[in-house]
Amino acid sequence: MAGLNSTPESRMQLAAIARVRWQLFVHSLRTTKGALELFSRIVLSLIITAGGLGGAVGLGAGAWFFVSEGKAEWLAVLLWPVFLFWQFFPVMASVFTETLDTSNLLRFPLDYRSYVVVRLVYGALDPSTVLGGLWLSGMAIGIGIANPRFFPWAAFVLLLFGILNVLLTQMVFAWVERWLAQRRTREIFAVLFFLVMISFQLVGPMMNRYGPTSAPLLRKFGAEASPVQRVLPPGIAARAIAQATGGRPGAAFGSLGFLGIYGALILRVLSVRLRAQYRGENLSEVERDVSTRDRKQGVRPGWDLPGLSGPVTAVFEKEFHYLSRSGPVLLTLITPIFMMLIFGFGQGRARPDSGFLQRSPDLGFPAGAAYALLLLTNLIYNNFGADGGGIQFFLASPVRFRTVLLGKNLAHMVVLALELLVVWIGASFFFRPPTPATAIATLAGLLFAAPANLAVGNLLSLYSPKRIELSSFGRQRAPQLTVLISFGVHLVVFGLGAATLFVAHYYRNIWLATGIFMAFAAVTLTGYRQVLQRADRLALARREVLTSELCR
Amino acid sequence: MLPHSPTDRNRASAVEIVSFCATHIWAKGPRPLAPSGLGASWRIGAVLESKHFMEVPAIATEELTRLFGELVAVRDVNLRVAPGQFFGFLGPNGAGKSTTIKMLTGLLAPSSGRMEILGLDFDKNMVEVKRQIGVVPEGMALFGRLTGAEYLNFVGRMYGLDRETAAKRTGELLDFMQLADQPKKLVTDYSHGMQKKLAMAAAVIHGPKILFLDEPFEGVDAIAAGTLKAMLQRMISRGATIFLTSHVLEIVERLCSHVAIIHRGQLVAQGSLEELRAGVESEVASGMVAGELPAAKRLTLEEIFLHTVGGSRPTEQELSWLG
Repeated sequence: MAGLNSTPESRMQLAAIARVRWQLFVHSLRTTKGALELFSRIVLSLIITAGGLGGAVGLGAGAWFFVSEGKAEWLAVLLWPVFLFWQFFPVMASVFTETLDTSNLLRFPLDYRSYVVVRLVYGALDPSTVLGGLWLSGMAIGIGIANPRFFPWAAFVLLLFGILNVLLTQMVFAWVERWLAQRRTREIFAVLFFLVMISFQLVGPMMNRYGPTSAPLLRKFGAEASPVQRVLPPGIAARAIAQATGGRPGAAFGSLGFLGIYGALILRVLSVRLRAQYRGENLSEVERDVSTRDRKQGVRPGWDLPGLSGPVTAVFEKEFHYLSRSGPVLLTLITPIFMMLIFGFGQGRARPDSGFLQRSPDLGFPAGAAYALLLLTNLIYNNFGADGGGIQFFLASPVRFRTVLLGKNLAHMVVLALELLVVWIGASFFFRPPTPATAIATLAGLLFAAPANLAVGNLLSLYSPKRIELSSFGRQRAPQLTVLISFGVHLVVFGLGAATLFVAHYYRNIWLATGIFMAFAAVTLTGYRQVLQRADRLALARREVLTSELCR
Repeated sequence: MLPHSPTDRNRASAVEIVSFCATHIWAKGPRPLAPSGLGASWRIGAVLESKHFMEVPAIATEELTRLFGELVAVRDVNLRVAPGQFFGFLGPNGAGKSTTIKMLTGLLAPSSGRMEILGLDFDKNMVEVKRQIGVVPEGMALFGRLTGAEYLNFVGRMYGLDRETAAKRTGELLDFMQLADQPKKLVTDYSHGMQKKLAMAAAVIHGPKILFLDEPFEGVDAIAAGTLKAMLQRMISRGATIFLTSHVLEIVERLCSHVAIIHRGQLVAQGSLEELRAGVESEVASGMVAGELPAAKRLTLEEIFLHTVGGSRPTEQELSWLG
């Protein structure tokens, strides 16, 4: 056993992991796709950094104002949005985030401490951490300018707050992944969600009835909620800074300790999951099925969709099985409803002119529909990502790729249609039912936008495929090139959509928008058809890339 | 119907599996290619003469070459596999076996050369060729987030079977492969051997005339291997052609009538086992290659293989830190 230490040096292992990731990165640059990926990553990083710096300046100015005015406790007003963004952005934009698949590290003699460090360090490398970090830095600088003496303290408190956010994000991810991995817990989640939806629906009528007389009640609620927010991390962090600037160092240390306790608790709950993963946990549903081992069922025939050929129907059915078994996808698909809730309630019913959608409630449905289309990006732009090694079947089967893509596109459009239905109900409830003219204009807009996205998505699925794991939150990141191009497509499509709506608004005729959208739709549908017709040739030409990327 | 208890199944497999295949799969699906003179008594359609099939190889390649950058993975391979042959394609690791099988099944484009499957030019009749063949590629081509039944149903529909036929054959194949016990289990949760059996079931669900198998017995237990071998032999007896790569030379020797050996991308031997054996014996006897033949004993395929590729390992190698 010469040369083998009895306890492998953790630092050496971490260095080896960092080195292997660096080598993987360098090797990826050997191909054109790898170089394009790097370019896309740089562009995206610049965009994120710009957003981060802009936010940092704004938040820094806010922090400077509050501290200069002696209202440091009000820093909570700035910390809460940062906190909420940090927690919700990774779930809503999982396409941009990457969690290291640490399962393949388990074969090595990596001790638990090193495993946790690897998970935390690589798990923290995502845009929300970068943005949150920049924003908190901006706040620290703002506080430092307002009162330089308290800069080190504020920086330390905000650093601790940032670490707490990182830990909380990972904890939420780890647990949600665990809960959504099994059918039973997925069903419980679905029921809970349904109940929440129903309860929200009750809130609306109640607000309509009691809204005008509820202002004092809301003020009372605000007064009661304030102490609650003060014992939650953003409130505590703000208080720790306020107490220090107010000349109460003992209390400030107490608040800091409180924040530390939160961090320790979150770490403890996270470590329950990490320890299970470290032991080689399998989140599949094998164990449950073992109990039904002897139960045999006859094989049911596949779906029969009138008007569609057998292969198209088969692909369509397969896509639905895949989507319905992916917790992260299901969660992504319900986010339009959350957005409606946020817009519906967040902008306040008490003042009808307080928000964009309150002023133009007719736009609730189009905005929700656009958002629903946006959420399908991850699926549309990487059609074969979840198929993995199954791509070999498509290549070896006698079915043309245009048929396969058509089946997949149809499945995604049915999902979009279901989303639209939900959005329509939500918009009707939270704002007001869209007029027939608005609804038709929206559908015409989608008839233009969806084929454009599908056409580009099909091309990128063949040109820039990437294997993704639909069952896991952290392993479904799309290629950076795809992200960049999809940004461009969305920019053009939504830009044209907005310009069309502006023209229609200018002439006070929504039917004009419908006409323009239909004209655009004729172009994008033609483009979509062209892409489908060329799909076989492209797939054959790209078969090596497809198999090498997807069969890893 | 096959018996369900494992013991019964093993005991009965030799007889019942054969009758299962004959009754349930090939008897009803598209008929496999079987030339007269190779044991089959039927023909594919009146317009096709059996003489035509005698002349047309099931698989033929001409100067088949594949480059990866500057690396020549496969160079000028001229293969000829007659209909109804159980053909073993052998070679050391990295010799070009998988690359060749990928080209023959459309998973990889050749850099140059031609391929004909059942007399059809592959490039010009790709879809038609794919309809006639079944494939178990290196990666098995499975869809992990489907159950076994859903996957086979899906494959059947993709090969043009109607819903009822696909479902019926799915049930029968799952039963036959002993995969019917856990209907809700996702393919991703299958063991390696189970996945192999499922991939094999998917490759035959449409009753292909040629079956391409890349390492079909790798990671498969003895019981499952017995099941698979029986099925393959039955396919051969019905006139299908099987082209397989394997590192398990004992299995190849037992199953295959013809063998080709590829080494460093080039075909170095091709023919029946007897022809290869005679070739090596004459080479050794004439001193063309180094080595000795075991006295009074027929050469095994492993010995033929090692003589052909010169695979003796240097014994002086030292890994002093081991053990």
